[in-house]
Amino acid sequence: MLWTEKYRPKKIEDVIGNEEAKQEVVKWLIDWFTGNKEYPGVLLAGPPGIGKTSFVYALANQFNLHVVELNASDVRTAQHIYARVGSIGGASTLDAFTGTGPRRNILLFFDEVDGIDPKADTGGLSAILDIANKKEVPIVAAANFPDPVKHKDLLNTFKYITFRPLTPRQIIILLKRIAANEGIAVSDELLNNIATKVNGDARLAVNLLQEASHGLDIDITLTPMENLPFEELIRRLTNSYNINEIRNLLNSNSNQIEDVFYTYYDLITRSNNTSFEDKVRLLEYCIKLNEMFGRMNKKRSFYLFRYILTLMPWFIYSANRAGIVYDGRIPAYRFKLFIQNRKYRDHLNEVYTDRLKMILHESYRKFVTETLPTIKFIDIKDEILEDLLTKVI
Amino acid sequence: MNIKYGTPFRIPRRLGDRFRDIVSIRGVKYIKGTGFIIENKEALDSINKILVKMGLILKPLINCYICGGNVDCDECTFNKSCHKAVTHCICKTCFQQRDLVNIYISKQTQMIRRLIGE
Repeated sequence: MLWTEKYRPKKIEDVIGNEEAKQEVVKWLIDWFTGNKEYPGVLLAGPPGIGKTSFVYALANQFNLHVVELNASDVRTAQHIYARVGSIGGASTLDAFTGTGPRRNILLFFDEVDGIDPKADTGGLSAILDIANKKEVPIVAAANFPDPVKHKDLLNTFKYITFRPLTPRQIIILLKRIAANEGIAVSDELLNNIATKVNGDARLAVNLLQEASHGLDIDITLTPMENLPFEELIRRLTNSYNINEIRNLLNSNSNQIEDVFYTYYDLITRSNNTSFEDKVRLLEYCIKLNEMFGRMNKKRSFYLFRYILTLMPWFIYSANRAGIVYDGRIPAYRFKLFIQNRKYRDHLNEVYTDRLKMILHESYRKFVTETLPTIKFIDIKDEILEDLLTKVI
Repeated sequence: MNIKYGTPFRIPRRLGDRFRDIVSIRGVKYIKGTGFIIENKEALDSINKILVKMGLILKPLINCYICGGNVDCDECTFNKSCHKAVTHCICKTCFQQRDLVNIYISKQTQMIRRLIGE
């Protein structure tokens, strides 16, 4: 049995770290039951593996509540949510749990709400807000990276509480506790080694401890590393010449894969260490991948994602071999214009209409077809010019 | 100047012209009448890049969850690998205690009991 399941916290005090966040949630729940329903729910935000879901279950256990959960593996259209959780007026699955009496013992838990897709899960977010605004049952939602635009209503309605990755010392407390319960002797060296490399991810730390306890070598480079900060992910990818390591990094950070692709595209266009032939070859590779990303996003053909996941490691490997160098930073203007791909077109329109139109005195068409490609292919080394561009954009 | 993550701070009035630079940094929020709030470590580094020219430096202040004292990150062996974006950690003295796990758990139990009012 996986230790992450075996040692899933049963009570709030078993959840290590995020002390202030936990207090806030408990206070909110107590207020809820005493009639102060200022917020219909709480939104727990934070990277994966730091105990958000575990905490919700521990909280429910402590307050004797039954958790009704809808997570990313469920269909979360408005219709399905109402069917599962119940339209307020009619009979529903929820009523089956509570009988016909007041819903006192239910805690609704919407996990990974940032994964609710506005197109595929039609009306899902509105349904959650609708149920929340009735204030009949306490609601906890969890998200990794809530979008200030897409989840604006959710953020305005729910109490927003941030969960942060654990510190290495907190990770060590967690590991020592598990080791004591398992009755295994673990060296301080191993604990320190795990704690320093998991980047605050408690789930990964527990998995690594379990691997180590079975006598397996912990090779951190071949271990899935979830929740890596974007710049750290790029740094590790550009420094890697091992296809397995690249593949693992991409697989476990697949939510950032499109940004990784655009970053590499950007690095290739302004690389000085790469030969002309290599650049042509890599850019041809970029065209193919770009086409796949485009088709996948536009037509929602997500089956293409597995092909992307197969091609991307080889693309990155070839780019690294061709001498692509990452100097540790991406200029802010390049990040906004060329890498923040999901809001790229909207953002570009906004930048152009708000600011650049007045400065450039040129049409949008000319800006997109001539000026923007010129900016893309010039590597601006001058700090003052870069600052100026960043401020303008 | 020592600051605590998640709590607001203000910059001296003479540095008012740096306001725009600081507020435009990703991970920094400004609440009118309250001050700046830093939401991640990267933002702190960027702010310090601006303030260091003025002879100022912001240091994150983290409290020990067990004894309530200050945690000095400079002394910590995990300094380089830690994100430090927390309000509580464990200080060096408490971390060396033998029964650390049980002390931590009992501290949490106290906190929950206090909240629930048992």
